[in-house]
Amino acid sequence: MSADSTAKTTPPPVVQVRDMDFCYGTSPALFDINLKVKYHRVTALIGPSGCGKSTLLRCINRMNDRVPSARVTKGEVLVKGKNIHDADVDLTQLRKQVGMVFQKSNPFPKSIYENVAYGLRIHGEKNKSVLDEAVERSLRQSALWDELKDRLNANALALSGGQQQRLCIARAIATLPDVLLMDEPCSALDPISTLKIEELMHQLAQEYTIVIVTHNMQQAVRVSDYTAFLHLGKLVEFAPTEELFTNPREKLTESYLRGTFS
Amino acid sequence: MDSPEPPPRPPLRTLLVRNRKRTVLGMDPQQVIKYFFGLNASTAVIVLVLIMLFLLREGIDFLPTYRNELVTYRRAGLEFCDIIDKPLKEHQSLSSSLRQSVSGSLDTLGKTARDRRDAAFLLKNQAEEKATQQRETLEQALEQAPPPAADKLDILRREQQKAAAVAAASLVYPDLFTAAEKQQLQTEFAALTPEVTDLPPFLQTLAADFTAKDHEARTKFEALVTAQEEFEEAPEGLQEVLDELKEHAQETKEKADEFHVLETNRQRLLEAAAKAKNADEKASLTEEAEASVAEPVNLDERTKELTARAGELREQLENYVKAAEKASASLPQEAGTSAATTMLADVRAKLPVHVQEMRDAALQLDQWRSDKPVSMISVIAAFFFGSQWITNSSWQDFFGFVPLLTGSLVIALIAILIATPISVIAAIYTNQFASEREKEIIKPIIEFIQAIPSVVLGFIGISLVGNLIKDFSEVSWLQWVPGFPIQERLNMFNAGCLLAFMAVPTMFSLSEDALNNVPRAYIDASDALGATKLQTVFRVIVPAGISGILSAILLGLGRVIGETMVVLLVAGNRIAIPDFSAGPGVIFQPAHTLTGIIAQELGEVSRGSSHWQALFMVGIVLFAISLLVNWCARAVARRFEPHKA
Ligand SMILES: Nc1ncnc2c1ncn2[C@@H]1O[C@H](COP(=O)(O)OP(=O)(O)O)[C@@H](O)[C@H]1O
Ligand SMILES: [Mg+2]
Repeated sequence: MSADSTAKTTPPPVVQVRDMDFCYGTSPALFDINLKVKYHRVTALIGPSGCGKSTLLRCINRMNDRVPSARVTKGEVLVKGKNIHDADVDLTQLRKQVGMVFQKSNPFPKSIYENVAYGLRIHGEKNKSVLDEAVERSLRQSALWDELKDRLNANALALSGGQQQRLCIARAIATLPDVLLMDEPCSALDPISTLKIEELMHQLAQEYTIVIVTHNMQQAVRVSDYTAFLHLGKLVEFAPTEELFTNPREKLTESYLRGTFS
Repeated sequence: MDSPEPPPRPPLRTLLVRNRKRTVLGMDPQQVIKYFFGLNASTAVIVLVLIMLFLLREGIDFLPTYRNELVTYRRAGLEFCDIIDKPLKEHQSLSSSLRQSVSGSLDTLGKTARDRRDAAFLLKNQAEEKATQQRETLEQALEQAPPPAADKLDILRREQQKAAAVAAASLVYPDLFTAAEKQQLQTEFAALTPEVTDLPPFLQTLAADFTAKDHEARTKFEALVTAQEEFEEAPEGLQEVLDELKEHAQETKEKADEFHVLETNRQRLLEAAAKAKNADEKASLTEEAEASVAEPVNLDERTKELTARAGELREQLENYVKAAEKASASLPQEAGTSAATTMLADVRAKLPVHVQEMRDAALQLDQWRSDKPVSMISVIAAFFFGSQWITNSSWQDFFGFVPLLTGSLVIALIAILIATPISVIAAIYTNQFASEREKEIIKPIIEFIQAIPSVVLGFIGISLVGNLIKDFSEVSWLQWVPGFPIQERLNMFNAGCLLAFMAVPTMFSLSEDALNNVPRAYIDASDALGATKLQTVFRVIVPAGISGILSAILLGLGRVIGETMVVLLVAGNRIAIPDFSAGPGVIFQPAHTLTGIIAQELGEVSRGSSHWQALFMVGIVLFAISLLVNWCARAVARRFEPHKA
């Protein structure tokens, strides 16, 4: 997918970060971030370790709320045009809208079925046929259905690492989120599993908007339409992936891409 | 040894050379260190094995010993008597029910009259007591051989009258009497003198009233009263024969025991004599042995004397059964009060069962053989399934394990049922909801409970919890609780409460650990899906930690079963299988436990006796139960915890 194709239609950004500063207690982690995540596109966040990629990602579903004293000190984050820090925002609904996949796969020690159905269950879905349908859809979308349809009641922890991570993706998309956040989803996987997940992301992008953190630049090139480069808590450059990798505007980006970065 | 040459020492050099090769006692130091640590680790195992061996050594002889006792029990004919004696015990309980029913019924008519009579006589006694001194002085004066001068007597009389009047005035007259009657009583008490022996008229009326009422009541409930009396007297003939037989059997047993003791003594002396080196010693030992001769008992002969009377016994038994059935048939449907009627109905329901048991017993008399061997299996069954633990009995000791086991299990169950919710909920709260400050307060406090000596908890159980339960059980709006009002302050529920308190720290800490061990990643995933805190806790954290929680509960159970001091002090120590027909109210009955019995009796029995060995058997079983529970706890902890793998 190329960045040009987005130019034709311009739906409003699904996630918009405006002039945001973020602090962990007294130590600032992000400075003046501006970012627009486009509808049904894959946006990659790259940058050296510790630059604040995960922090930025967690700002979008307010996972940072769980760290006491961590907060947005300036600016705002909008998801589908709504400021997620508004008082009338229901955190559970926000997280239903914004799914997340973690670096290390973390299925619950429950059956495969229950893992996928969990999100729906906690949002009050009790109808068995609705659950069955959602489980099947999610497993199909995460390319697990054919492998697992006969053992939906098996314990999820018995799956291989790659399957577990795809199960986590299935679990995250079961609630039909608008945005799917992925924090280095392949960093703990072998190359073949990584490949499978990268393929998956192309398909998922047709249904969901994806923000992915990766430390692997090739991966960013392979999967993303847009790339944001962060450095020391600042967003240095944000551009269509092709553009950023072939023709970076900033010197810092260029040196990072070259690997001549200190 | 005083060898002049000291053993040759290795020259210093060789030591040094050895050191250089780094060997200790010819072994690699690495190995030595390994063995050292291994040895220390295996000490625990060795001690455990030694404990097991010790328990087994003391306890294993129990079975043959008990078997011998049961053989004597059979051969001396005690068992024969028990065939009848045991079911006959039911007669007493039925009879007592009937007595209560009768007195309840009579009370409906006669109670006021009796209370009035009793109160009046009590008052009279009190009045007399208060004027005792003057009264006695007067009595002594009257009894003097030459009677004292009339004027002197008059003074004494007046003093006595005065004292009686004061006493009569000072009494508190209950409201059973009307104002006029109170007045009347006071006048009569004031007029009491030792010279008049007749009862004052009002007291006489009261006594007559009661007699009349009682007579009226007895006529009204005549059927019941006669039936009760008949039933009470029904077993007299049977009891008489049985008592004779029992005496006979017991005598046989004593003789057999005596013979056994003397005989073993003689054998021992003879052995010693055979070994003695000194001729004098030998002679004296032999002489002693000869003195220790007992007349052997012909058990078969003596038990034949018993069985010969089986016919007589059966005849009396049939008489008893007939009398009892007749009495039962003549029992009226209704008694004076509803409680009494219920008791009657109860007796009527139980009597056919009792009669049937007695008839069965009569049949068993024929089948009984004194020379039937006692198999080892039946001895084992008598221990593990025996429902009686009777020791120091003049008749026969029984070591049945079931009453103790049920006591222990019921108490443990109560304790676990109480402690589980408390400790698990506290653990969930502390681990998931409490602030750091709260954690700092809650955890040490709960863990401190462990430091309370159990004997102190025993005090609390006796003085505080027992009274609390008793008071609560008498509150009227709590009467729907089964078992209320309770009879005994010290009961299984009381002990269970205290044991629950003792088990909470273990169960709380381990459950809290289990929750703590739930990987953070599960919580992340659940949070990221929009779960609320409660949903995360109850749908993810608790299920993920459930095996740890279960194992905590099991370890708590192990702690509770092994606890001794509290149950010894608080459980009530009644050695009987609790009456489960009381439903859930059974928990308010007293019981004895496996641990309690050992603690209570071991110090008092003579070493090596069957009782001593029986206690060790109980110890072995207790040990086995504890091992089993702990093993289960480990097995549970290992299962269902793949995230720990
Ligand atoms: N929970 C936290 N509390 C305090 N500081 C944190 C926390 N998480 C991350 N940080 C800090 O914020 C900065 C950004 O971290 P992070 O977003 O994890 O970086 P990245 O994911 O790019 O490696 C780092 O300097 C890190 O030390
Ligand atoms: Mg990171």
